[in-house]
Amino acid sequence: MSVFMDLNLSFTADKRVLQSLVETAAHLCLCLQEIPTPTPINKLIDRLPIVQGRSRPIRVLNRLTVVMSDSSHFRPNAVEYRSFDLLAVRPTTEKLFHAACMLYDVDIICICVTEKLPFFFKRAPVSGAVDRGVAFEVSYSAAIRDASMRRYTIANALSLMDTCKGKNVILSSAAEKALELRGPYDITNLGLLFGLSDGDAKEAVSSTCRSVLLHAESRKTASGVIYTVKSSSEPGTPAAKRAKTT
Amino acid sequence: MRRADKDDKPTVYQRVVLKNASPHHYMKIHLVLQDASTRLSAVELKQFIITGLKSLYGEVGAALNFDLLKYDEDTLTALLRVYSRGLVKLWSSLTLLGSYQNQACAFRVLQVSPFLLSLTGNSRDLQLD
Repeated sequence: MSVFMDLNLSFTADKRVLQSLVETAAHLCLCLQEIPTPTPINKLIDRLPIVQGRSRPIRVLNRLTVVMSDSSHFRPNAVEYRSFDLLAVRPTTEKLFHAACMLYDVDIICICVTEKLPFFFKRAPVSGAVDRGVAFEVSYSAAIRDASMRRYTIANALSLMDTCKGKNVILSSAAEKALELRGPYDITNLGLLFGLSDGDAKEAVSSTCRSVLLHAESRKTASGVIYTVKSSSEPGTPAAKRAKTT
Repeated sequence: MRRADKDDKPTVYQRVVLKNASPHHYMKIHLVLQDASTRLSAVELKQFIITGLKSLYGEVGAALNFDLLKYDEDTLTALLRVYSRGLVKLWSSLTLLGSYQNQACAFRVLQVSPFLLSLTGNSRDLQLD
């Protein structure tokens, strides 16, 4: 199983707020998160907090979310986009949603959760996006902030799940304050409310996020990325975990 | 060697086997408030949780049975018991509770288990050598 991730944290100019946000995320066992700014995180925070339960510091990436109301807002292969690790779009019309699903070279399509859905999700673009490995993002912090936003979040999430059947959905926070973050198991449980199955809800915070990251990496290269993992039994591993040789 | 004040009966062990899913689930929760000096009594906390249930699930959700078994006012940590079929409802309403008396708050669910005994320790806090 891959680590838990939160792929959307809002950037705030206040360094103290940002620090507490990152620290809370690390405490809640989240491993990766995004800050929509092209500055590397080392300049903002000196020492990254250690993730609870793993002796590794939290990994922070940069993400850009383009809000599109016109097709000229997204410029494919623009130089500015290269400095971001993740690229997300939020289409506001059906035509743009179709184009984002089928054509644009992005990693994440954000589903609007703060207002009534301006269009229906059709099966063809959604399954096209699933085939291309583009993920749909539902963020939950608006649901925590306000009761009417909560209605829209649940309604829009449910109508998305009707169409995509829980595939390629990620749940993220879009939190501005540390108190808007929730733990990964809380979000998994919240996914049940959004119409995901048990397995899909857990994947929405772990392995789908990982595939989004790999998709983002392959966007930068010609075709794909390969990871190699050492699978030898070194003498450093405890005897109980070593394969038996008789 | 037996202690004098105890009776002579050997210690009785009881083995409990659950054939079906356990009837209850237990949750250990911690309330984080923006203003850390705010204190809630146990009644206020339960009322607050019921308010959350009611705002998310309405009158039917507010009728969900759950018990506040133990509550520590100083650390704002509580133990809840809920019927297993109500766990998802209770948990999601705790997740979506975001404000207490116009200040931001968050429930951190520390542990969830069908057995009360397993909430005595947390395997994630163990210091392994």
